[in-house]
Amino acid sequence: MSGMDLLNVYHLQIITFMAVNSILALSFYLPLSAGQLSLGCAGFMSIGAYTAAILSLHYGLPVFTTIPAGAAAAALAGVLLGFPALRLTGVYLAIATLGFGEVVRVLFLNLKITNGALGMPEIPNLNDYFSALYRSWGLQGDLAGLDLPRLAALTTVVFCYFVLAACVAFVLRQENSRTGRAMAAVKADEVASGVMGIGATYIKMLAFVQGAFLAGLAGAISAHVTNFIAPGDFNYHRAVNILLFVVLGGSELVWGGLLGAAVLSVLPEFLRFMQDFRWIIFGALLAAMMVFRPQGLLDRQLLCRFSLRKKRAMDGMDARASSGEVD
Amino acid sequence: MLELIDVESYYGNIRVLKGISLRVPAGAVVTLIGANGAGKTAALRAIAGAVKPRSGKILFEGRDITGLPLHAITRMGITMIPEGRAIFRRMSVEENLEMGAYSRRDREIARDIAMIMERFPILKERRAQPAGNLSGGEQQMLAIGRALMARPRLLLLDEPSMGLAPQAVAEVFHIIRELNKQGVSILLVEQNARQALKVSSFGYVMETGRIALSGESAKLERDSRVVAAYLGKRA
Repeated sequence: MSGMDLLNVYHLQIITFMAVNSILALSFYLPLSAGQLSLGCAGFMSIGAYTAAILSLHYGLPVFTTIPAGAAAAALAGVLLGFPALRLTGVYLAIATLGFGEVVRVLFLNLKITNGALGMPEIPNLNDYFSALYRSWGLQGDLAGLDLPRLAALTTVVFCYFVLAACVAFVLRQENSRTGRAMAAVKADEVASGVMGIGATYIKMLAFVQGAFLAGLAGAISAHVTNFIAPGDFNYHRAVNILLFVVLGGSELVWGGLLGAAVLSVLPEFLRFMQDFRWIIFGALLAAMMVFRPQGLLDRQLLCRFSLRKKRAMDGMDARASSGEVD
Repeated sequence: MLELIDVESYYGNIRVLKGISLRVPAGAVVTLIGANGAGKTAALRAIAGAVKPRSGKILFEGRDITGLPLHAITRMGITMIPEGRAIFRRMSVEENLEMGAYSRRDREIARDIAMIMERFPILKERRAQPAGNLSGGEQQMLAIGRALMARPRLLLLDEPSMGLAPQAVAEVFHIIRELNKQGVSILLVEQNARQALKVSSFGYVMETGRIALSGESAKLERDSRVVAAYLGKRA
């Protein structure tokens, strides 16, 4: 197999979905880093996807305005849901947000503008957008051995990873900031964080809305990658799948969710040759994970072992891990 | 400095404070003693804003603070050290101290951290360690140090001696005296009534959600009812 065959559109699309799933993992991780288990990601994702689809199909808006609009719409929904839902904690919040996702799904299933169960076909595609862009630059044939469709697909990949990189940079930067510390404090002990002068309600709302924004962003991008969306794409399975990214990858660290998203995007494709049996294998792998590494693939200790330059940090972290604290 | 007027509060449907009134004069150490479930912690939580009182008034330096949220009250100059210390176990000692200064935006935070480490050398020694690895006594020092980072004018202490070794208990009470000398007013909730009355100038005795007795600590210490119920007879 030559290098060019690897870059076929099918492979490129999987690589694109890895980026979209990674953004979804971040959208689950953010509320969790402030102590909230939210299963609303699929719902927010669908709001982002449908907003982007409707704006581009019915109003002819360009892709680069519909994607931010989708994210913003999801964030707005996050604010509206946050006011009642953030009074809940733990498993109650999980159930409420899961319920929210179902409500949104049923809503899209019955609205006229979303075309109900038939879904929305022919959403303007990022590949087509980039193709048209290159053509308008006068590019007709091959460039460096790549034909136009491949070049456009490759540009879509680069675009998605650029967005992902921006999201990761934001989350990492925030973690080391005053706000990030406040989130960690709220997660550890809400009363203690209040005594520190942290407005827990505000911090929880902030994390929740940021998560909604990212889920909406991922949804809008995916709508412009797949051409077609239907309410069934954003059901309960999607919500659980996003949860799995973070649980499997490791919920202590940003990198855990990203790793989990990458693994769970690629694994079903590798197992494709087993046809329907692949879901059995998939389930068995997950069950094995929970038995042998319940904290996820990545945890602080493992990360420290990999980063040699942070010798001092490692000493601290090892002590932290050996103390076996769970908070 | 702090005044509670007929404060009532509920945990769910249970009336835990049945209208209590008390005062903490500026610069004083006042103690609140009583048996388990008498409502001592409930009173502190009402003052700190962790629980909203259903009726009554709480005044701090003349301003009505009834029903303000926890973080707003911290910003006004009252800091509570909750029962069980509530340190951030996964954060380092130094990070815990930094969290204490969350509500501040001035440039003297680093100086204050250095000062607190000066006062509690064990915290300096363990500054990079996760706070969960400290012993109970050390954690209490950290909790006090962290509370001081907010530069409170009134400190609310909830059972600071709970679960500590006798030596650490003595040190905690020593620190309370010292802080008070530096001008911090203190409201102390304690089960260790004898020590609490020794360190304070005025005391309130709570029973089932009410103030049953109050008076100068030295007098309470000799009051036959207090002795019988909380101090025990000395041989």
